[in-house]
Amino acid sequence: MKISQHMTRPAVTVPPELTISEARELLRSHHFRHLPVVDGEGTLLGIVTDRDLRSAYPSTILEEAEGKARLQDLARTPVSSIMSQGIFTLSAAATLDDALLLLDREQIGALPVVDEGGKVVGIFSIRDLMRAYRNLFGLGERGSAMLSLLDDGRPRPLSRLCAALEQADIHFNRLLKTQTEDGHKIIYLRVNTYNLAAVHKVAAAAGFEPHREE
Amino acid sequence: MPRLSQPLLVIQDQHFLQHDTGPDHPEGSWRLTAIAQRLRTGLLADRVAIFPSRSARRQELTAIHDENYLLRFEEAALTGRSYLDHPDNQICYDSYQAALLAAGAGPAAIDLLEARQGCAAFAAVRPPGHHAERAMALGFCFFNNAAVAARYWQNRYQRRRLMIIDWDAHHGNGIQAAFEEDPEVFYLSIHEHPTWSFPGTGWGEERGSGSGRGTTLNLPLPPGSDDAAVLRLVSEKVEPALAQFQPQALIIGAGFDGHRDDDMSGLAYSSQLYGRLGRLAASWAGRYCPGRLLTLLEGGYRPDILPLTVENYLAGLLAEQPPTTDSQTDSNQQREMP
Ligand SMILES: [Zn+2]
Repeated sequence: MKISQHMTRPAVTVPPELTISEARELLRSHHFRHLPVVDGEGTLLGIVTDRDLRSAYPSTILEEAEGKARLQDLARTPVSSIMSQGIFTLSAAATLDDALLLLDREQIGALPVVDEGGKVVGIFSIRDLMRAYRNLFGLGERGSAMLSLLDDGRPRPLSRLCAALEQADIHFNRLLKTQTEDGHKIIYLRVNTYNLAAVHKVAAAAGFEPHREE
Repeated sequence: MPRLSQPLLVIQDQHFLQHDTGPDHPEGSWRLTAIAQRLRTGLLADRVAIFPSRSARRQELTAIHDENYLLRFEEAALTGRSYLDHPDNQICYDSYQAALLAAGAGPAAIDLLEARQGCAAFAAVRPPGHHAERAMALGFCFFNNAAVAARYWQNRYQRRRLMIIDWDAHHGNGIQAAFEEDPEVFYLSIHEHPTWSFPGTGWGEERGSGSGRGTTLNLPLPPGSDDAAVLRLVSEKVEPALAQFQPQALIIGAGFDGHRDDDMSGLAYSSQLYGRLGRLAASWAGRYCPGRLLTLLEGGYRPDILPLTVENYLAGLLAEQPPTTDSQTDSNQQREMP
């Protein structure tokens, strides 16, 4: 669950003197959206996003001569003049949950990951987050299927369900209990078998009926 | 009075029954016994011509599977192992031979079709095939019968553009994997949504890759989907895909486990839907590739439902057959005249 296991590293970082046009070219060729700006020691100074860069560029409605002059400016202007400072970061010891909560709360696309000295050790984007949770849930694992069962409300539901599945030699690899907003307690179970009918039979005998969503 | 139409070719083989999956396994030999019984005594008895299968040849199999996988499978069967790769895939001593015959059924049927021995062909095979991967058994499947048939059709008869339409309740991951990057084989699957269903693949956003981008089409349906949902997909997605791709041969992956009483899926198809699917398949073949329509049995696990739905499907195939191939050609020409 540690962010250090899921972040992209090393992050591509740039010095503050890099020009805006060079930064734009770098993002374009790498297909990512966030560039941490660091000093000579690798300490985080700020971050430039593709949106910052795009809005620095002249609008196409400008007169041609004026537009050209602005483009020449950008080829001399350092990224430090447009980077965001005082940005949110994650420590290398942070968890996926920390990242999810922060990205969600701040509505941002990526977070630099820094060590205790403030040096950038990686970057964690929403894409990394999705990939991490995808693996956590086993999404797309060939040969598996997710079932949702209604908790029967009696004590120790997960232990009873596991015992019944193991007894029947049904392989499973994810088990999750949640409560929906309307109060249904639901158990999600990822099984590795084609024979879902057999799984449902075993689950029903242990007291768990399938949960059907409307 | 119309002239007698050509028979429907059916590939059946006693040796398919020798693949013994043990008691309580849903993919049992009763499946084929029940189908054979229905075809022998049912309303199609005098419309079908039964032929045996033949074993797939090594190079037909290695077009789709790893050589080492063949060896591994054969050895597992002959040394008495009870399953291959996962306990779902139960085997016995004869399973390898039965699987060779199941993989050869497509080629056997294709030879008959190309020799104009019948209007269409149905291979009543087991073990089924569409989950089998290049080097892995999965979901009761060992050799990918449909993929082997497609490659055979291309290599032996130069039918390059092939479409495989798979309406088994489950996604045919093995067929998709075999042709994912191949622009000449179009894989189209209608199946229960992978979030809720085995094998957890077949997302709508998967459209093939590389030069095969656009010749994979997954049409997942939520649990509870009925005939209307399927027929809507047919007119909105399947028929436009056919019209654009213009296949030279058509393979149907026919699994009957989407029936509402078959508890191997959450889909809720009626028995009648299969008759509709039969008529549709025949009309597509009539339009794009007359006489080159091969159907391979995949799933279907309810003893009381499977033979009935198979019969409905085959009756649908036959209902759409023109009296003769010649008059079909004539009427097409007439329609195209200004
Ligand atoms: Zn199936």
